[in-house]
Amino acid sequence: MRYLIGRLAWALVILLCATWITFGIVFLVPGDPARVVAGPRADAATLAAIRHELGLDRSLPAQYGRYLWRLARGDLGRSYANRQPVAATLARCLPATATLAAASLAIALVVGLAGGLATAPFAGRFVDRAALVCSLAILSAPVFWFGMIALYWLGFRWRLVPLGGAGTLRHLLLPALVLGVGTGVYYARLLHTSLRDVLTLDYMRAARARGVGPVRLLAVHALRNAALPLLTIVGLDFAALMNGVVLTETVFHWPGLGRLAFDAVLALDVPIIMGTVLLGAAFVVVTNLVVDLLYRIVDPRIRLG
Amino acid sequence: MSPRRALAPLLGLVALAACLRDPPLAWPPRAPGSQRGGVLRLAAPDDVPTLDPALGYDSRSWTYEQHLFETLVTYDDQSRLVPELAEGWSIADDGRTYRFRLHAGVTFSDGTPLTAADAVGSLERVLDPRTRSQGAEYYREIVGAADYVEGRAPHVAGLTAPDATTLAIVLREPDPLFLHKMALLFAAVVPAEYARRLGDDFTDRPIGSGPFLLREWRRGERLVLARNPRYRRADRPFLDGIVEQSGVNGELAWLKFLNDEIDVSGIPPADFPSVRRATDVERPGRLVSGLTLVTNYLGFNCRMPPFEDRRVRQALNYAVNKEGLIALLNGRGTVAQGIVPPGMPGYASAATGYPYDRERARALLREAGQGAGFATELWTQSSDLDLKMSQKVQHDLAAVGVTMEIRQVAWSSFLEAIRRPNTVPLFDLAWSADFPDPSNFLDVLFRSSRVDANNHTFYANPTFDGLLTRAERLRDPAARTLAYAEAERLLVDDAPVIFLYHPIAYVMTQRRVHGYAIHPLLPSRFTDVWLAPEPTGAQGTSAGS
Repeated sequence: MRYLIGRLAWALVILLCATWITFGIVFLVPGDPARVVAGPRADAATLAAIRHELGLDRSLPAQYGRYLWRLARGDLGRSYANRQPVAATLARCLPATATLAAASLAIALVVGLAGGLATAPFAGRFVDRAALVCSLAILSAPVFWFGMIALYWLGFRWRLVPLGGAGTLRHLLLPALVLGVGTGVYYARLLHTSLRDVLTLDYMRAARARGVGPVRLLAVHALRNAALPLLTIVGLDFAALMNGVVLTETVFHWPGLGRLAFDAVLALDVPIIMGTVLLGAAFVVVTNLVVDLLYRIVDPRIRLG
Repeated sequence: MSPRRALAPLLGLVALAACLRDPPLAWPPRAPGSQRGGVLRLAAPDDVPTLDPALGYDSRSWTYEQHLFETLVTYDDQSRLVPELAEGWSIADDGRTYRFRLHAGVTFSDGTPLTAADAVGSLERVLDPRTRSQGAEYYREIVGAADYVEGRAPHVAGLTAPDATTLAIVLREPDPLFLHKMALLFAAVVPAEYARRLGDDFTDRPIGSGPFLLREWRRGERLVLARNPRYRRADRPFLDGIVEQSGVNGELAWLKFLNDEIDVSGIPPADFPSVRRATDVERPGRLVSGLTLVTNYLGFNCRMPPFEDRRVRQALNYAVNKEGLIALLNGRGTVAQGIVPPGMPGYASAATGYPYDRERARALLREAGQGAGFATELWTQSSDLDLKMSQKVQHDLAAVGVTMEIRQVAWSSFLEAIRRPNTVPLFDLAWSADFPDPSNFLDVLFRSSRVDANNHTFYANPTFDGLLTRAERLRDPAARTLAYAEAERLLVDDAPVIFLYHPIAYVMTQRRVHGYAIHPLLPSRFTDVWLAPEPTGAQGTSAGS
């Protein structure tokens, strides 16, 4: 319990640092956020009025202080670009990203577990080598290339999935597949390697000697230990996925956090940049914590504190 | 933990999230053989930035704002001013007092009556600093606007509604462009009290008097407009609705168009040459094109050496092969002879531009003492097309001994940089007209007093300024046009920019779409668009996905 409170306190400090650093960087970038609001054609008077209205004419510490004060009351501000409340915008993009992240992670895990378990017993043999070549090919294909090809055939030629857009399960299929299969083959290789190591250990031989069947041996006895490195990666990946996969979200124009952050940076939309960074930092902090707790469940020998 | 137990919640979440959101859209059935009815299906990469007419200042927002709201005056297909919400107007002899007579009995789409007080409130809302409207500057010339903006007066003194259908506006000085400013969507009439109450949220629940109303807007998914049953004109619009799906980039939109999933699409550069070569029957749809009031140019910073020398600027104008650039656009443009686009109504340009002539370019550079060449830097935006065009210019300039570096910069930083003195020697920009008036190019971009706004070339010529001042005081349109033409001739000679081209817009529509046109000034309007009746009567069922 004390451990948990300590970790949470640290998390707050980390988040505060994240706001501070982002705020600093945004104001070091050449470019004027008031110009984003005022538009390319505004004259100096309009620009000055808008700068004043946004509080951009105050000192940096004063602006930061005001930002923190509002943040403490749960107010993330409004986007400069479209005037939408930042909290509402994040709340709208989060489910889109979460759905995509969860779906692709599910696909990745299925591919990863199946691939890893199926190839590990054949290590070094033809099946294994063929699988290695296939996964290498899939891993090396850039997301945008893979995505475009999939869109052309599945969307345009065979009309199985919609061409772009979001909102329904059918829209989700292609981005999740493109993202999930790519990640999945990577998991398969990872699991394959660590299964191979585990399979040579003494306790495996002992289990075999006790009459444990080959399937149970692999899927229960070996997997439990071999899954540990995979779990770490999956945890980190989930945090990364939740922060939005810029490339996939861009290729498929998925209305998620990654694209939101990307567009906000291009448009110098400070409140949105701050909001996405804060949310992203929160995700990393929380998933790290969850993964550490999960370690303990998977391997009770690991002690926290 | 078993993999099965780990997967179940993930899969459950996916299924739940996906099932929760698939709302079908129902449209009224179409009467057989009727011109009315049907849904226009569109697609775009991103969401519409805003539907609030006080805020939108881009063609995407204007596309939909102009269907939700009305302005007192607007433009016909030739960009001539015509009445819209106003039946008519009168301008007093002093040139400062305008009276607009509004149509009687107009209501907003929610049924509340539209009065002149709403028109007053709409303009005050744009001027109010809290609205942070980009359009505020257009109406600061109204008497009392400054006092209102600075909080010294609760209302704008020069903006009154003597009765429910009369709007009176008094300006500080006569302004020949004021009617054009009233045609901008910033001046659209909104239910003033309601809009003020909603503030920044008005964009989500807009109410106007236009031909359509907002039915649904799911950001990142789709925008749906439906016919406004209370629209002033009983015979319009023909369409029951418009659905724009977002998240579809240009290439995908084209594929969707070929699969007949959308009704209108731009044509990707790779497909354009074959579409253009094809005969009308061979094409997948109807090709619609139009010249817009836009000029693309490369601006010099006229205060940075060596561009403070006019001969150097002229030399570079000769050195760039404009036809070559238009070829990169697959022919979607015409060579610019001056800064004012050829489609400008009531304007006859006398500018003759700069033909592609390397010898004259070299001669002028020698004359200017730059015969050995020099190095410079072109700032441009970060799109692929911008880069390709810049590389072509780089190649052309290298042939006359000028070494040009290309610097790609994000839009917001780009805008910031070109405003700063002595920072950007050469930049790639385009200007599209706010009003169909030559001053919107000549004055806005090149008057010496506009350096803190849109004169990024820092061009300053007292003779040119004098010609502008003379032109704007002339009340006779013909004399005014002549004066501007004279100013433009001087400008072309001074060459503060490399005059490149005027883009031509092309789109493809399905053959059943009628009445779709490209407007030189405004985004395409859907009020007159109608769909040929379908033999199957299955209209609109696929509009949602």
